[in-house]
Order: sequence, then C-alpha cells, then structure tokens
Amino acid sequence: MKHIAPYCPTRRAFLSDVGMGFTGLALGSMLAADPLSGEALAKTASRIAPKAKSVIWLFMVGGVSHMEGFDPKPALNKYAGKSLAETPVKDPFESPFVKKNFRPAGDVNQLRSFRQVILPMQIGYRNRGESGIEVSDWWPHVGECIDDIAVVRSMWTSDNNHTAQLQFHTGRHFSDGAFPTIGSWVHYGLGRLNDNLPQFIALGTPIKSSFGPQVHSANYLGRAHDGVHVDEKEPLPFGSPAGRISKQEQRLNAEMISRLNRLTAAEYPEDSALQARIKSYELAFRMQTSIPDIFDLRDETAKTLEAYGDGFGRQLLAARRFVQKGVRFVQVYHGTDDLDGAGGWDAHFFLKENHTKNCLAADKPIATLLKDLKQRGMLDETLVVWASEFGRTPGTEESNGRDHHPFGFSIWMAGGGIQGGITHGTTDELGMLADEDPHYVTDIHATILTQLGVDLHTMEVPGRKRLDFEFGRPIQEIIA
Amino acid sequence: MKNMVSIVSVLIASNLVAAERIDYESQVKPLLAQKCFACHGALKQESGLRLDAASLLHKGGDSGTLFEAGDSETSLLIQRVSAPEVDERMPPEGEGSPLNESQLAMLRAWIDQGAIAPDEAVPANPRQHWAYQPPIKPTIPTLQNPRWGRNAIDQFIGAHHDARGLTPAHEARPEILLRRVYLDLVGLSPTRAQLRDYLEDASPHKYERLVERLLSAPQYGERWARHWMDVWRYSDHTGFDLDGTVLGSQRHIWRWRDWIVDALNEDQGYDRMILEMLAADELSAGDEHALVASGFLVRNYYKHDRNRWLDDVIDHTSRAFMSVTMGCAKCHDHKYDPISMHEYYRMRAIFEPYNVRVDRIPGELDVNRNGLTRIYDADLAAPTWLFVRGNPKAADMSIRLGPAVPAVFGGALDIKSSAVGLASYYPALRSFVTNALLEKARRAVEGARANLDSERKKQEERKLTVDERSLEYKMSRESVELAELKLKAATTEQTALQARLAAERAKHEAGKVDEQLIKKAVDAERRARLADGHEKLLESIVQLGTLRLKVSRKTRDYTEQDSKQALRAAEKRLDAAKKEFTAALEMPLSGAPEYEPLGTIYPRQTSGRRLAFARWIVDRQNPLTARVAVNHIWLRHFGRALVDSVDDFGLRCERPRMAELLDFLATELLDNQFSMKHIHRLIVTSTVYRMASHATPHTSESKRLDVDNDFYWRGNVRRCEAETVRDTLLYLAGDLDLQAGGPDIDSQQGQEIPRRSLYFRHAENKQMSLLELFDAANPNECYRREESIRPQQALALVNSALAMKQSRRLARRLSKTASDRHGFIEAAFETILCRAPSSVERTACQDFLTAQLEQVSQVDGLTLVGDDVEAIPPSTDPAIRARENMVLVLINHNDFVTIR
Repeated sequence: MKHIAPYCPTRRAFLSDVGMGFTGLALGSMLAADPLSGEALAKTASRIAPKAKSVIWLFMVGGVSHMEGFDPKPALNKYAGKSLAETPVKDPFESPFVKKNFRPAGDVNQLRSFRQVILPMQIGYRNRGESGIEVSDWWPHVGECIDDIAVVRSMWTSDNNHTAQLQFHTGRHFSDGAFPTIGSWVHYGLGRLNDNLPQFIALGTPIKSSFGPQVHSANYLGRAHDGVHVDEKEPLPFGSPAGRISKQEQRLNAEMISRLNRLTAAEYPEDSALQARIKSYELAFRMQTSIPDIFDLRDETAKTLEAYGDGFGRQLLAARRFVQKGVRFVQVYHGTDDLDGAGGWDAHFFLKENHTKNCLAADKPIATLLKDLKQRGMLDETLVVWASEFGRTPGTEESNGRDHHPFGFSIWMAGGGIQGGITHGTTDELGMLADEDPHYVTDIHATILTQLGVDLHTMEVPGRKRLDFEFGRPIQEIIA
Repeated sequence: MKNMVSIVSVLIASNLVAAERIDYESQVKPLLAQKCFACHGALKQESGLRLDAASLLHKGGDSGTLFEAGDSETSLLIQRVSAPEVDERMPPEGEGSPLNESQLAMLRAWIDQGAIAPDEAVPANPRQHWAYQPPIKPTIPTLQNPRWGRNAIDQFIGAHHDARGLTPAHEARPEILLRRVYLDLVGLSPTRAQLRDYLEDASPHKYERLVERLLSAPQYGERWARHWMDVWRYSDHTGFDLDGTVLGSQRHIWRWRDWIVDALNEDQGYDRMILEMLAADELSAGDEHALVASGFLVRNYYKHDRNRWLDDVIDHTSRAFMSVTMGCAKCHDHKYDPISMHEYYRMRAIFEPYNVRVDRIPGELDVNRNGLTRIYDADLAAPTWLFVRGNPKAADMSIRLGPAVPAVFGGALDIKSSAVGLASYYPALRSFVTNALLEKARRAVEGARANLDSERKKQEERKLTVDERSLEYKMSRESVELAELKLKAATTEQTALQARLAAERAKHEAGKVDEQLIKKAVDAERRARLADGHEKLLESIVQLGTLRLKVSRKTRDYTEQDSKQALRAAEKRLDAAKKEFTAALEMPLSGAPEYEPLGTIYPRQTSGRRLAFARWIVDRQNPLTARVAVNHIWLRHFGRALVDSVDDFGLRCERPRMAELLDFLATELLDNQFSMKHIHRLIVTSTVYRMASHATPHTSESKRLDVDNDFYWRGNVRRCEAETVRDTLLYLAGDLDLQAGGPDIDSQQGQEIPRRSLYFRHAENKQMSLLELFDAANPNECYRREESIRPQQALALVNSALAMKQSRRLARRLSKTASDRHGFIEAAFETILCRAPSSVERTACQDFLTAQLEQVSQVDGLTLVGDDVEAIPPSTDPAIRARENMVLVLINHNDFVTIR
C-alpha cells in the first residue's frame, strides 16, 4: 500500500501533479483540448452582464389548457355550445397569422376537423396576490406566487402535433430535423460553475413520442453538450458497479489507473488526449459521489420534504439541489405517459378530470420550488420557466375535451431578473389567436440567454447557418 | 401605413441617389449579382457578356459597350434593364423580377458619376475548380533518399518532406504496428499468440503476409462495413405509427447491412456497389442478393413526409458519393457552388418515381415478419415541380422538370426505360408464393374440418349431460353450425384461390385472356365472400349472445365497465359483419369480370433514371466519385483526411496540400476495377502508415517545422471507435461470438449478447448506450466520427456489467496458463495492450497485486458495493481476485482505447 503514491483527487493538486516533471508540456493546450474545462467550453459566446446563473425549465408534456390556467376567457361561457362561425373569431384558418405561420404535421385534414363548438371554461378563476392577476383554481399554490411571476399570454408555435415538444426546445419545426436544444446552447455558451457535476441535467421521464431524448440533446453542437438525463432511481448510468466489488478495491483500482496512465504520459508527453482522459477519470470518480449526494436528502428538513412531496416534487427538489451546486440548466419533464407518448396533459376528452389530476400533482410542488428558492435567496439568480408545447382549442372535442392548439397559449417565468406580478401579451376574446405582442418559442430562449448574460448573436457554429427566427428576441417587457 | 412608408422611402431614395455618391462594392455589384450573374457570370456568358467584375462591365459584350462613363442617357445597360417591352427587358421574364425605380435610379447615378469602381480580379470560372477536373494520374516524384519509402504513397509524401526539410519518424515498434493494423483492418486486437508469432517470425515479408491474411478475414468486411454504414446512413427502422406502419427506414433492412459486409469481403468493385445501391431493380431485377443493396434508398423512407424523404435522398446521395452539398440548392441557388435551384429539382426528378416495398421471401408469407425490402419505380409519370423557396406548398406548376445532373460536373444522363420481368412486377405469382398460398388455404380447410369434427363431438357429449331445451344446448348447436360455415368458408376460399391463380397464370404467364377462367374466378371469389360473410355474421351473433349471457349472469370476470365496453365492441362487430354480408349479397352475380389479383401488380417498366444516374456517378470522367471514396478510406486509416471537409468538395474546399496523392489514389481505384482492398493494401503497406506516432529526438526539427503533422512526418494517435472498444473487450477473453449477419439484435442486450456491435439495432433513439458514450454514429448523418473524452466513458469501463464480467473472465483465463505473478502481468499486458510492460510498470503492477491481495484477503474489512445479482462474482481465491482487479485496471488504461 505504502509504495503507491497517494492519489490526490483535487483539481488544483492534480493539475500540478500532471504538469510536474513533464518539460515541454503545454498546460494551456491541454486545457484547450479538454472537453471538461469551462474555459474551453465558452467557445464563441461573448458575455454581457448576467442577471441569472441557472435555469430550471419545467415542461408540461402534452399541452396544458391556457384558458383554464393563466389566461381567463369569460367569452367561452358566453358562446358555450355555439359554433365558431357565430363567434367573433369565425374561421381561424382565414387569419393571415395562421396562414403565414401554421405548418401542420402530416395531414391537412387536421384543419378540417378543427373543433367547431365552443366549450365553456371548466374551472373558475380568482384574482391573486397583490398584483391581482387572475389564476385559475387549478393552480392555487402557484397563484400564491403570482407576484414573482411574469405570465406571457401570447405564445405561438407552428406545429399542431406533439412534435411541437421538440420545436419548443429547438425553435425548429420537427420536419426540419433535430437541432440543438436551449439547454445545450446554455451549456455550449457558458462556463461551468462546478467541476464535480455536468452542467445540463434532465429530470423526470424523457418525452416518449417521436423525438424522445432529442428534446434535451445538443444535436449538431456535439454530444459533449447533451443534457445528462438523471433518473432519480438510477441517477448515474454505470455510476455504480454492476457487480460486487469493495470500496477498498475500487479505490486502489482508481489509483492504479491514474498511476499507469501517468507513466504512459511520461513516455508520450505530447499526447493531449491522454492528459484529458486522466482528468475525465478524475471527474468520473467525483460524479460517483457528487450525483448520489444530490439525491441524499438527509440534510433536508421534514417540512421541506413534505412541502415538495413525492414523485414530481422530489424531482423539483433535486433540481433545486443541482442548482445549489452550480448546475446551469435543469430540465424537468412532467406528465410523460407510458401509453402513446403524447403526454399526460393531452386532454382530448375529460379535460376537467385530466387537468384536475395533473394540477394536483404539479401545482403544489412548483409553488414549493418557487417559495423555497425565494426563501433561500436563490430566486434572484435562478430563472424558472414553466411551459408546455401548446395550449388547447377553445372548441370542444367529444363534448368534454379540447384539441391541440398552437396559435395562442401561455407560459410563465419567475426569478432570474424577471419582473413579478405582470402579464404580457394577449390572445383574442376566445383565446384563439395570439393577439397583442405575439411571441414565438425562441423568444423564451432569447430571454433566458440574455438573462444568463449571453450575447445571442454570438451563438453561431461555423458551418451551421442559423435562421433569424432561431435566435428569437428577448421579451424586454418582462425583464426587470 | 406600411405601404406609405415604402412609397416615401422610394421617393427619398431616388432623390438621394442623384446627389449621393454610389458605391460600386456595396450597391452596384450586389444588385448585378442578384439580377444578372446567373447568365452573365463566370459560368455562363450569354451574348458574350460578363458582369461579375468592373473591368468586364466596362468592356461590354457582343452587342457592344454597355455605357460611356458619365452618360446614363445613352447606356445600353440602362436601356435593357428599363425597357418597357417584356421581350426587350433584362432580366428576362421568369429569370428574375425587373429592377425597381430606386434600383434604376441608383444604377443611372453610378454611371453618371463616372462608373467608378476599384480594380478587382476577374473571378475564375468555377468549372476550373480543382475537384471538378477528372483526376489524372500524376507523375510519381523521386526522393532525395531513394532508400526511404516503399510505394508511391511514400514518394508523394516524401517529396513534401524533402521540400520542407522534414525528417520522418522511424517505423513504429512491431507490436504497436501490429495492433494498429489489426484494429484498422478487422477491428479486433491481435491475440497474445498472434503477437508472439509475429514477433518471432524472422521472415522478411511477414508484415505484407499479415496484411493479406487480414484483408481476407471475414472480420475485415464487418469492420469496414461499419465505416461505410456511417457514410451511407445505415439505420434500422425507427419505430411504428399507431397503425403499425413503420415511421422511418424499414423493416428487414439488416439484409442491406449484410450485403455491405459481403460486398466488401468479396471486394466487389465500388462502382458495382454504387450501381446496385441506386438501381439494383433496373440493373438486375431478378437478382435478389443485388436487390438488397437498394437498402441505400430504402433507408430514406419517411412515412410522414415524402418531401423530406426525397430531400434526404438528394442531399445524402450527392454527399455520400460525390461530396456535393446539393441540399443547399433546395430553397435558392447554391450560395457557393455553381448549382442552381433548378438543378436541385432536376436531381429530384431522378428519384421522383421510386418507392419502397417489401417482397416475400421463401418460407414466410407475412412480410412484417420477414421479407426483402427493396425499391422500385412506382409512378413513372410522377411530375417534379420546383418548390419556390423550397416550400412544397408553393410548387411552380408552369414547368415540369425532367431528370438531369448539375451541368458543372460535365456528362449527361443516358436514360433508357426498360421492362422488368413477371417476377418483379407481379411477385405474388412467383411459384414459391403461390405454393405457400395454396398450402395455407389447404391447411385452413383441414383445420376447419378438424374443428367441425370436434364441435360435433362436443355436442354429442352435451346431449348426454344437458337438457336439449336449455340455452347451453342451443348455443352449442350454434357452435356446430358456425363450424360448418367455417369449413364452407375455407373450402370456397381454397376454390377461389385456385380459380384466381389459374386465371392469373393464363393471363400473365401464357399471355392470353381466357374468358372461361376469368368467369370461374369471379364466380368462385363471390362465393367465397358470401361464405365468409355468412360465417362472420354468425360468429358475431354467437359472440354477442355469449357475452350477454355472461353479463346477465354477472360472471365474476366482468366488471361493469368491462362488460359495457365489451358489449359495445361486440355490437360493433356485428354491425360490421352485417354490412359486409349485405354487400356480398348485393354483388351482381355476373357483373364486372373482376376478381382480386393474388397480390399487388407493380409497373412493368422502370424509368431508367436511377440507373443512368448511377452510371454517371461511376463514370471515369466523374471528377468526384473516386476522390471522395479514397479520401474516406484514408481518413479511417490515419485519423485525418486528405480533404478535411470529407462531405463537401465544393468551391469553398481549397485544393488540398496532398492533391497529387489524392489524385494518385483516385486513379489507382479507377485503374484497379474500383477495388477497395487494393487501396487498403497500398496504404497499410506504405512506410508512411508504419511510422511511429510520437516525436523522438531525431524528429525534433520536424516537430518545430510542422507541429500539426500536416505533412505526415509521423503517425497520428487515435481513439478506437465505439464498436472496437466493445468488441475487443469481449474478444480478449475469447468470448466474442463471431457469427456473421442476421436480423438486428435488441440494442438493450449489448452487455449480455456477445455478438459484434454492428449487428445490434442502430436507429434514432435505439442505440446501445455503451456505444453512444463512445461516439457511435448518429444514424441520420455521420460522415466522420467524433473522438470525445467524457467521464461517462470512464464509468462505463470501470463499472459496466460488461467491463466487470470480461475482466473477471479474462483474469481467470490468463491465470490458467500463467500461475506466477510475473507471468500473469506479462500475459495481461500483452493480451490487453499488445505489448510487454516496462520495468517500472511491472514493479507498479507487482505492488498493486500485493496491495490488493492483502486487502481482499481480509474479507471482513471490505465494504461491498455494487449489484449482488451478477453473472460472474469475484473469485473466492484472493490471489485471483487481485488479478481480476489488475485486468479491470488495464482495460481502463488509456492505451486500451487508443491506437498509437
């Protein structure tokens, strides 16, 4: 045991150790070639003053009704049972906005089957907080936090099917292919805050429909920028040994791997890949501790654990703990279902039952997260985004449900330098079309990057021409 | 409001330009580029006029000078662009919109101001681009040191060394070279015995002999198939839609993967491979083995969007074989290369008629279970339109575009439509299919008869136990009746099949329309439908009755909800059966002489377009095909390509430093029947390939002069591809199952099933996670692999079931022959890293084994972690257990995943 030099796994000590005795070893080039180094990661993004450090991105899978959440539409009750033609909206497909922006997935018949009969609001609203913003009774706990929230009521996207899930993260219609997602742009553009953890984490069950894990992938940015999916049941793949071994053996093995690799490094001092691999083993061994630490909740109070609750709540608690440790982007899915992958919020029938159930599962944990971040003083630096791929139709499907609706829907943001207690943008009287200040999904991306201090237009990759709408424009009206 | 603004701005603009000084670079030239260059530029000079440089503008064309500087009034240029008559005006109708007022004003003002422009070089004709010239075998240079080098590759590279004063590295140590060439050619490292044999062999040509052996090993085809599968976008099917149809790629496409392996092993010419991949259906319609090759086009199948499907075909066919980025010309003329949007859609026309189908193969009637997925021309009349701005909703229906290849590459398509044989256009009439159909019908009759016998027997038995007036008895009588109808249905179906077959045979094989046979077939088919409808009707009545009985008696296995649903479903079935039966009844007795054919009858002609296109690609005069192929091969031997942008040889791609070498290799390919093995042989037997990859004191000057090794004065260090890492891990312990070919294996089974990695499912979201960690190909696009270094890779090699299992198995295997510790360390190093340990390493390993042994001997002191349910628990012998850890350490050695 004595004869083996003790392996010292701190970054600083490690670097000097590797550097020592290798004349001509360019530490700089080693860092540049090193995919783990934050300095090297900040490749092209030039910086502006950041207001937020991290993002928690809450994605409701399947399409949440905007008219029964954050955008009350009393006119639905007025026109309930009437056909669209009898309402001021008449035919949405005649609107230039829809004609210009709508790219239906697959079949144009989707247009013809558009829901014609108005379904009244399925839940009541009340004014909440000092701002008095109306939030539905399905979201009472989030309603309590409304003074920290900016609601954007005028979102739109171009796809009417669940492939809009991918689009919401990449800004590109699915039929264009898979592009880098917002989390991977954050990862690509910003340095790391913690050497022991990956900087882009995905929690919850990844979306199961057509694109699956691509919704948190880096695609052309390269796999190093992919979100690392962490399943709370098995937080780190290959993170623990698949067979019986003792900790003592593991430790000696780790030391020996490092020792042999350093001997080889002495023979090939110019091999920068070898240097990087030595370091990656170091982070790997740390992740074996740092990732389980996130899920070791013994240092949380019983009150906190109870407030977050199980299931989705546990994922949100993990999200807060990741952010606490300096993770840049945590993407949490809610409502991925096992059946056909459309998503749990996809209330074509029985909207009332569906949203009651889903809100019961999501509302309180989300409110707990916001309150917890605020109480810990973390909300100022943490941007929380709540979103869904689209809203739902004012018209009814099978008398008690609503269909997919991409022309106008709501999202909200809180913290990270976003104003609280405001709404921005509107949909028309029926919640049909985004009306004042319409925003395409990439405007959310642009707002996030701006708050993180990234100059949008430096986010280019040589050889990859990004279209103008892919950059989006920050929503200045909601920035504090 | 908007309109007003633009009118005002036009007014302001036209006033302003009169006074303001016009800038040629930023104002005049961009306008001319947009409106005129397409016909009056480097590529084309209509009426002898070129406008893409100031000097050419001043010079004018066949019709004389364009203007006198300072006088726009008399300018021919202004006259033509502002002519009121459509026939006179430039740009001609359909080629671009006329200049607007402000543009005209700006152009006039520029001429009036003296037509001032800076000196600028006349752009070269893009046709002269290096990559657009057919490769010609360059003269092989002679070297200052004639003793260095073995073949022409060395002479081309040596000439660069000579010119730059570079001293090349020595040959790599034999064990390093041995491992390099094994991993490169077969993707598996040499065994210890192979290493020993090689080192002990004193014969002068042992390396060359080894290369021959590796090139003829079946594993060569597997190794290089995986490379070409990257370039050719191999993908297993991507999943199913709700109705069970495939979403992307296709079922049974693994046959194409096996075809690639076989073609490489047989050293089929690359030209032949391309011909078969693009047009096997036209080239050799009856050759099923060749038809499999069309997997290249089958793979692009995309259920939801035919346009995306064809866009992928155009983009990736041109990139894979010619490194031309056609995809950039989909929405507008190519920004960089001389390829117009029209040419994009003309290439689309080559593929417009094609579609994908699954033909039956002997032994299986259900094509979902097994079959031959192939291409064919489905619609020879399918029109191709230009999509304005690439938008399929904005098709320009004024011109129907025919198939053609971009003019800049020279040559043309020689399209000849041809007839396909009966087996191809009517595959259901092939005898193995008809025999199987008849056999199936016969068995159905047999089954129905047995069923009737059994129902009758049951009824006899019931008579003894059940009251004949009871509901049960009535229902059993119905069962017999139903069984009788089933037999009748099966018999009439069999008769109908025989009749249809006779009629179809007469029609298609003998070529005569036999009214008698047709009538018989129509008649028999009608009877069959009636019998079938009758049977279904009774069946659904019986089902509904049984169900109602159960529900009324509240049998336990039905909840209320279930029973309601089940009843509703049964009622629905009954309704459908009624409708079908009524339809069968109402069918006219001797109406239209129509019966169902035995299967789909496909077109009897192929368009000939794809075959002509494939022939154009492999034509010796095609400047790109051979260059692109040898560049891909070179990349995978050296970790670096001769042309870096492997999938783009367009105008932005500068002539490479080693252009002569590239052309030499390209002409070698062309001159040797497109043999890839010939190119491999040339490369791996060259001196350049055999060089050491690290700098030594004698090459320190080379390092100073060429730090990036641009001129190959040493070898390159590379990381193994994902498949090599996994396969070798299994191979070391003698566990790799070398069985070749077959259907794709579930990608979740990669740690349990010891087959080679290329045989596991590979599709979007269906890849082995272990392989993904090591940068396996993205199934949608991968012209070259990444070589990332990530912490998750470390965890996989330390903790995965595969790594732990294989290290334990290997340690035990090695311990069988190496009883002492010294021998074990030697054996482990030689097996895993293919080299002996250095003395320092040997000491370190001795110490390690001592320390581990000490530790694991005191079992009580160990804190166990990890899974208890495992295939291979740690050895109970502490000495072996220490060795298992030694092996695990060595497979985590940097040099296990590295090619030096």
